[in-house]
Amino acid sequence: MLAFKMLLRSWRGGQLRLIFASLVLAVAVVTSVALLAERVERALIAESSSFLAADLVVRSSKPFNPQWLQRAAEEGVRTAQTVSFASMTYHGDEMHLASVKAVESSYPLRGAVKRSQTPFATDEADIELVTQGPARGELWVDSRLLPLLDIQLGDAIELGDGSFTVSQILIEEPDGGSSFSMFGARILMNWQDLDKAAVIQPGSRVNYRLLLADGDDFEGYVDWLKPQLSVHERLITPDEAQASIASTMDRGRRFLLLAGSIGVVLAGIALALASHHFANGQTLQVALLKSWGIAARRVRSLYLQQIVLLGVIGSVIGLVLGWAFHQLLISAVREWLPIALPMAGPRPWITGMATGMLCLAGFTLPALWHLPAQSPLAVLRRDTPINNLNAAARGSLGVLAVALLLFWYSNNLWLSLAILLGFALTAMASIAVGLLLLRLGKTYGHWMGSIWRLALSNLWRRKKPSLIQMVGFSGAIALLMIMVVVRTSLIDEWRWQLADDAPNHFLVNVAAHELDGVKQLIDQRELETAGWYSMVRGRITLLNNLPPADVVPEDHESLRRELNLSWTRDLPEGNKVIQGQWWDDSTPQNGALAPVSLEEDIAKELGLKLGDTIQFSVGGLTFDAVITSTRSLNWDNMTPNFYFLFPEGYLEEYPRTHMTSLYIPAEEKLLVNDLLRKYPTVQVIELDKIIDRIRTIVSQVTRGLEMMTLLILGCGIVVMFAAVSLSMQERLQESAILRTLGSSRRLILGVQWVEFSTLGLMAGLLAALGAEFAVAMLQRFMFSLPFNWHPWLWMVGPVAGGLLVGVLGVAYSRKAVTQPPLQVLNSL
Amino acid sequence: MIDVSSISKQVVTSEGTLCILDNINLSVQAGETLAIVGASGSGKSTLLGILAGLDLPTSGTVSINGEDITAMDEEGRAAVRAGHVGFVFQSFHLLPGLTALENVALPLELQGVSDALQTAAHYLERVGLAARVGHYPRQLSGGEQQRVALARAFACRPTILFADEPTGNLDTGTGAKINDLLFDLNQEEGTTLILVTHEKTLAARCGRTLELQAGRQINSGNNA
Ligand SMILES: Nc1ncnc2c1ncn2[C@@H]1O[C@H](COP(=O)(O)OP(=O)(O)OP(=O)(O)O)[C@@H](O)[C@H]1O
Ligand SMILES: [Mg+2]
Repeated sequence: MLAFKMLLRSWRGGQLRLIFASLVLAVAVVTSVALLAERVERALIAESSSFLAADLVVRSSKPFNPQWLQRAAEEGVRTAQTVSFASMTYHGDEMHLASVKAVESSYPLRGAVKRSQTPFATDEADIELVTQGPARGELWVDSRLLPLLDIQLGDAIELGDGSFTVSQILIEEPDGGSSFSMFGARILMNWQDLDKAAVIQPGSRVNYRLLLADGDDFEGYVDWLKPQLSVHERLITPDEAQASIASTMDRGRRFLLLAGSIGVVLAGIALALASHHFANGQTLQVALLKSWGIAARRVRSLYLQQIVLLGVIGSVIGLVLGWAFHQLLISAVREWLPIALPMAGPRPWITGMATGMLCLAGFTLPALWHLPAQSPLAVLRRDTPINNLNAAARGSLGVLAVALLLFWYSNNLWLSLAILLGFALTAMASIAVGLLLLRLGKTYGHWMGSIWRLALSNLWRRKKPSLIQMVGFSGAIALLMIMVVVRTSLIDEWRWQLADDAPNHFLVNVAAHELDGVKQLIDQRELETAGWYSMVRGRITLLNNLPPADVVPEDHESLRRELNLSWTRDLPEGNKVIQGQWWDDSTPQNGALAPVSLEEDIAKELGLKLGDTIQFSVGGLTFDAVITSTRSLNWDNMTPNFYFLFPEGYLEEYPRTHMTSLYIPAEEKLLVNDLLRKYPTVQVIELDKIIDRIRTIVSQVTRGLEMMTLLILGCGIVVMFAAVSLSMQERLQESAILRTLGSSRRLILGVQWVEFSTLGLMAGLLAALGAEFAVAMLQRFMFSLPFNWHPWLWMVGPVAGGLLVGVLGVAYSRKAVTQPPLQVLNSL
Repeated sequence: MIDVSSISKQVVTSEGTLCILDNINLSVQAGETLAIVGASGSGKSTLLGILAGLDLPTSGTVSINGEDITAMDEEGRAAVRAGHVGFVFQSFHLLPGLTALENVALPLELQGVSDALQTAAHYLERVGLAARVGHYPRQLSGGEQQRVALARAFACRPTILFADEPTGNLDTGTGAKINDLLFDLNQEEGTTLILVTHEKTLAARCGRTLELQAGRQINSGNNA
């Protein structure tokens, strides 16, 4: 095959080095980024599924329709039912109101149960991971039940009507954190023992869960199920299971996507530059082919074949290299990534291959396509009569290829738009400002020293390649900046989750007369609380003067239960007013109607808006309130959140209870027992396990992000390298000629230094512009982070750009002064 | 074979329109040899390119074998070139990434000649470069590069060979050998030769001479 022969010869002759290296590296980087991103993403999904112990859960207050289970079995969907309830446990004279969960033998569908033979085990060696629940007749219990009931492992205790053996210590259940309402010691029992214990009586408050996972057509099953859910049944997704981790996971995933997308665009830039170089180098051959009378169609077909061949070979090598690269990275950070990463699907490979082929074809073919239609001498003279509009249209073909690729990869319009617009802004500014600055430099350069004069007039003379280089440099720098800025702001956001002493327990319902005692207990252990909050428990009795049942058709939870009402002067940290206004000093105290601020979702669910009135009943007394604002809460933050907030002066006279959050280290965990023994009405919400898991996940996500950032930086360097190589031949030739004319090493390298660092400096400055814009868009639309300026971008951009590009350029052109001029000329 | 009627070539430059060729008329029969002479910058290369159909005149017509190539589109001209035309550029235009042998073989390979490499080697030997076949253009001297360019043109066995200063970079001995080769081709295969040259001896060997002065034809006569 002639095309293959031609390609092979070009390869041997060294014409393909830059384009091939760029292609292989670009594909390798994109593939490894995509592979890593996908595997980390899958790990995150698996991790969040394990929070539910399933992929999806139906929660209900009643047993489930047996048809659902039957249908699931038919469709191959795995199921496990669980039911949670409070039940008294007895041993001898001791008793405890435990929080019991009965599970079917298939439980858990995702994640694992941690059990141990050692009470209060914290050492990994003592803890066993199993994917099953207790056998019939056995109970797995929370460590603290042992001292509470004064028993040992192996003892029998009574639960309901039955007697059971305590066979294992329950350290952690995958879905243990999903219900904050468990206050007693946890007990896991077998589903089939429910009858024997006869603990579930009609009317008792129980919480059924149907765990679902797998199946050939999981989505189909869920679609079938959804319309059958009644008001008592609700679907819970992994994201909802853990509001506090969901946003971390979600942002982590978005960041991975961003990193992958930036990788794709950087690869596109590298290939655009290299393709430009390649196409330029091919004009002589095109002219010769033409002069030998080869038809345009044949010339095109020859190039098409060569480019497809080059693309396939380069991309395949890139894929292999990318795989090796990501494997290397994973093994390098293995110890920080304890979760086993699931295998990736076909998508990363397709992404890598498509990036290689589309970018190569998109940037080389349009540059060559019109040439065969011209007369040979016109091609040789490079004065093909095409206007700039055509040139722009041809250039945009490649850009279109990258845009499509980006959109396909990210499947996210905002992200694609932010990157593309940020890049377009940078590119256009580069061209406009670049032309202006180059012109100014050329005009006023003669006032400066000879090096500057020469360098600036060189830049002006080579304005086309200079501008192309500048677009390349600034694009790469801008993308790297976006990456670093987003990474930094995400990691800042997560920092609290990584803090070692973030509160991990809530103490709720501490009566006024118990407060001092509780404080004393905490002080004895030298622990610190995050401050005490007062609250009043009340019920809603009227909504807009109507009984709630008339207004809200569904039996809403907040109408059934007592609510926590609290008061504060200032908007709590992390809360945001969505509608209406927060109160200030002019808000009257002791008005007839108490102002109240509602959490926005609860307001929606109750069908309430600003100005509506609610009547609350607190300890038999009632008072009326008017909604003056709605708020969003911050679930990323382990401080108490209140759905109903009042200004000071309205609730103080009602009987109040107190709550706080505090950090209890593992070795002080027995404090909980002491507390509960002494103050049985105090409720302790234990979040230590869940927080530990969050912390592990966040630190893993962070590592993943760091890894990505590194990879992308590598890709940026490839782009810079391609851009520097672009004009090197001409530069080396000129330097060699200057050298024959006797110019000093200082002059030659000085000129290169000034040229490249000027380019880099301008590129860095313009990159800061594009990056600032793109980051603002991304933060607004993708990460829901507040906008802020990044002044350091405007400093670091130009300085780093100038230095990096300058050093790269000078290193590259050193040859011109270390080798004799003739050798340099001959080697070109 | 080639008929040129009143062609001119103007180019637009930043300093205004420049007339490079002005009203050239010419007719060359098959098997004839023509030398184009004139001072540097007089328009010889430009004329040669137009005669070969590599470029277009601003006005006037050029026909090869009775076909008006100025009226054709680029594809038509390419087809005419493919059948008949060989061209040696003044600046050789060897492909830098190919060896001497591959440079010569490429047009043959494109024609689908099966023993392209052998044929190429044969012609390289005839121009005295048997020892240089594996060298890249940058490793060859100017004269050697010129001979590779000539071998490349010979190898395609064109019916009309255009050569822009084919011996300009060669010493007298080598130059003479190349000239012999050119005229052998003309004798043996009836190849029409159109040469641009500064050399009196070479011009004198051609059947006719066309002299240009600042784009104008000042005489065109037989070298009887
Ligand atoms: N595309 C062009 N644009 C501007 N001027 C041109 C162009 N092509 C040729 N010229 C000018 O036309 C004139 C003739 O050029 P040409 O190359 O034909 O000269 P020549 O007779 O071959 O000279 P030499 O003997 O030095 O090779 C020159 O002055 C050249 O500068
Ligand atoms: Mg000439």
